[in-house]
Amino acid sequence: MTKALHDYSIAEAGKLLRSGGVTSMALTEHAFERIKAIDPLINSFITLTRDSALAEAASADADFAKGIDKGPMQGIPHALKDIYGTAGIRTTCHSKLLLDNVPKEDSVVAAKFKAQGAVMLGKLATHEFAFGGPSFDLPFPPARNPWNPAHIPGGSSSGSGAAVAAGIVRMAMGSDTGGSIRGPAGYCGTIGLKPTYGLVSRRGVFPLSYTLDHCGPLSWTVEDSAIAMEVIAGFDPLDPGCADVPVPDFRGKLGRGVQGMRIGLPRHWFAKAEGASPETLRAIDDAAQTLAKLGATIEEIELPDYELYNACGRVILFAEAYAIHEKDFQTRPLDYGMYTYLRMTMGAMITATDLTQAQRLRRELSLALNAKLKHCDALITASTLAPAHAFADLDPNSPPNFPIQTMPLDVTGNPAMSIPTGFSASGLPLSMQIVGRAFDEPTVLGIGAAFEAATNLHVRRPSFDVAKAA
Amino acid sequence: MPEAPAPADDQALEAEFDILAKRAGLAVPGDRKPALLRGFKDLKRMTAQMRQPRTAADEPAGTYSILTVTRSV
Repeated sequence: MTKALHDYSIAEAGKLLRSGGVTSMALTEHAFERIKAIDPLINSFITLTRDSALAEAASADADFAKGIDKGPMQGIPHALKDIYGTAGIRTTCHSKLLLDNVPKEDSVVAAKFKAQGAVMLGKLATHEFAFGGPSFDLPFPPARNPWNPAHIPGGSSSGSGAAVAAGIVRMAMGSDTGGSIRGPAGYCGTIGLKPTYGLVSRRGVFPLSYTLDHCGPLSWTVEDSAIAMEVIAGFDPLDPGCADVPVPDFRGKLGRGVQGMRIGLPRHWFAKAEGASPETLRAIDDAAQTLAKLGATIEEIELPDYELYNACGRVILFAEAYAIHEKDFQTRPLDYGMYTYLRMTMGAMITATDLTQAQRLRRELSLALNAKLKHCDALITASTLAPAHAFADLDPNSPPNFPIQTMPLDVTGNPAMSIPTGFSASGLPLSMQIVGRAFDEPTVLGIGAAFEAATNLHVRRPSFDVAKAA
Repeated sequence: MPEAPAPADDQALEAEFDILAKRAGLAVPGDRKPALLRGFKDLKRMTAQMRQPRTAADEPAGTYSILTVTRSV
């Protein structure tokens, strides 16, 4: 039986594009048909760029016909969270404040995809400024979870998680400051890779918190994310946070397994955490057993209290976000959505001493975690602590604080990838995250690929009756 | 983890909030204040946790680096 076009991985589609088995135009038209059929249910897109996408697809096909090969994303449809600056295409950050914002230049990430001949379908929903959501008081509706649209998709890369899980794109770009890639990946059952801080340029992406922001992919499979990383990683001297380090071979450890690896498990972080669901905890323990059966040694480890990492990250995030928004927040505060308003105000309450103490703590916490990674190849721990909550659980006058444990790796900057571990009885995805040494994404991806192959969870996808028509 | 200090009473908390909001140039609508005070209480708990036993020599993450800052020049 022939697969539907959206079921081909980026690598498989790439082979077909190069052999003439499919055209970029066909992939792109198919994606827009799925958007038309599915997106009214999940609101993953804010802006569609159909005309430019079709032009990019035609250009990619013309290049293939001439034997020009620009790289693995050539001719592949993808989409960007609407905080990535795109030349000539509005970039709203899902906010009333930037409804008319049309950047003159592409963000570095957008430019890199463009240079490879990738096809950008449009801009994806986010929480306002990647900070406040999911909300109904913003200019665009919140994205919804494809597994059950009555539930949140997580955020802030909410549209990215929803669009990938729904099979609209194989890969979409998100950003992660406190968990905004790994949260939606966990809730939507996709891969979500937060790379090492400084490995991907943030230039041209609207900042939330300078020292915590990371750009990275959400994708259907581990290999899809590895391919995206091949395109976007690399030193940018104009991004002061960018690291001048060699770019690793992201696909180099795929298929090599985990035999002989030592994997740490800080179980005390999540075992008794408030809001942790028994299904999530059981799935992480099962995942540890799976990795052990594949040949890894799982070692329970002790780290500083999770709440210290979380508090440290939040203090820094609030302070830096407020510094970015100070002028607008003083002059037009009520143009922000309620959740953004309530969170942003906290940034004005933080003193210089609070922030300096937080940065001192950050160093201590980073050293503690990386000391464990001296004798462990990687760690596994919880990502989302429970299945996605329902929109009905939201209180419009109080920002949600859903149980999720992603902040520590934004604080330390280590690479961390959310990966599905199973499904709840209600049919919603469960997840864990794999954490690596700084700039050792290949090991994180390699462990993820071994787990993915052993569990085969990625073949299960949401089923929309309307989608079957596409 | 060191114990957090005893929480300030609600009146003191509100007074501190008002001072900080005024210093920041924010005019806070009255109907939003209860939610903001709940958030501020949580923030105070977190900023207390930033204070850990350490010496004067313990520098922060993100210590200024002239090489990084000037490399695009």
